[in-house]
Amino acid sequence: MPRPVRLICVAALQCSLMTAWAATPDTTIPQMANGKPDLSGHWANPYVPDMARAGSVLDPLTRKPLQLSRAPLPDARASAAGGTPRSMDLPYTDWGLARWKAYDPVNEGDYAGSCLPFGMSRNINSPHGVQFVQNPAALAMLFEQNTWFHWVPTAGQKWPDDIPPSWNGVSTGHWEGDTLVVETTGFNGYTRLDTAGHPHSRQLKLTNTFRLVDARTIEHTVIVHDPKAYTRDWMNVRTWKLKPASDVVMEYSCEENNLGNLFSGAIKPWKPPENDDED
Amino acid sequence: MKTDTLWLRIATLAFVLPGTGGALAHHSTAAEFESGKPVTFTGTVQKVMWMNPHIYTYVEVKQPDGTSFVYHVEGGAPNGLFRQGWRKDSLPVGTLVSVSGWRARNPDSPNVGQATMTTADGSKLFSGDGPAKAAP
Repeated sequence: MPRPVRLICVAALQCSLMTAWAATPDTTIPQMANGKPDLSGHWANPYVPDMARAGSVLDPLTRKPLQLSRAPLPDARASAAGGTPRSMDLPYTDWGLARWKAYDPVNEGDYAGSCLPFGMSRNINSPHGVQFVQNPAALAMLFEQNTWFHWVPTAGQKWPDDIPPSWNGVSTGHWEGDTLVVETTGFNGYTRLDTAGHPHSRQLKLTNTFRLVDARTIEHTVIVHDPKAYTRDWMNVRTWKLKPASDVVMEYSCEENNLGNLFSGAIKPWKPPENDDED
Repeated sequence: MKTDTLWLRIATLAFVLPGTGGALAHHSTAAEFESGKPVTFTGTVQKVMWMNPHIYTYVEVKQPDGTSFVYHVEGGAPNGLFRQGWRKDSLPVGTLVSVSGWRARNPDSPNVGQATMTTADGSKLFSGDGPAKAAP
């Protein structure tokens, strides 16, 4: 082979190898004693203030974007998320649409501003990261957001049938292959799915799945099933990244500042709905 | 710095870097501040309240009648700012700053949200990388 050609071949091979090295993820999946993936770690979950943003609402069966009219809703109340006009951005039922149009954090206050529990959906959407601590029997989600926690039994343990409805609901987990499936029900109906204020009812079942793509990457999916609020199930798919070891989970107290702002009137206090049975 | 650490930092920054303090608000900013009430002023830093869920910088502004008014300028979440390299003492008391933002909906509140705060040399405060960025 002529020398110039050999040089080109060597350079191309080096370039190819370097590219392959740079793109190669750490494929070593950490495992627990039972052989299942170990999700433990401090994760950077993406901040999702609007679960219905264009292109992100998927069909859970095909993972393709749902066809939504996104028609404007001029009769909706004041917008929650910085002035973005509301639209038919999800497959609402009549009940769900009425709730979406009626949401008015400006004049009625939002429970998150009052530092009340955000709910499972908004906890996972929040921007501050989450520490997972896992063993074969359970997963503990330690949200930096307001230093909240969520306990997920994963080995068949049952919650009491008559446990009261709650802000964050109750979760159980099971494995489907190497994917952890976390189903959450039992919501009190006071929460919203996201900062934008997308509604849900007490019939909500959230299904969050977590799959380690590599040692530092989780594919996270969430399916919203709520036949009272939505005509069909819908889904988001997200990517989480492991934080550096030096980035530690920190204390967070919403009340620290917001208590004063609530007392002074800078933040309008939230009150539970008068007709508690509507949700 | 190892390449994998660098990439982790870049990936992490992509998630945590806010454009302004309000960009990472986890509750409705529109509920608290009004875009139709913009405000711009220059004053001196009285103190920095390094508190959750948002830090507040108290900025004293001299009024034409000789009195002073202290605005409470909302910034980002302290944990996120810490990770970006900002600390409570990154902005010393007495520093002259210029602020633009939105006034609170409540007319009695001194709070200013969605704020941009700069020093005399044009440096943006509590936005982007802070002076202690060496520690992630």
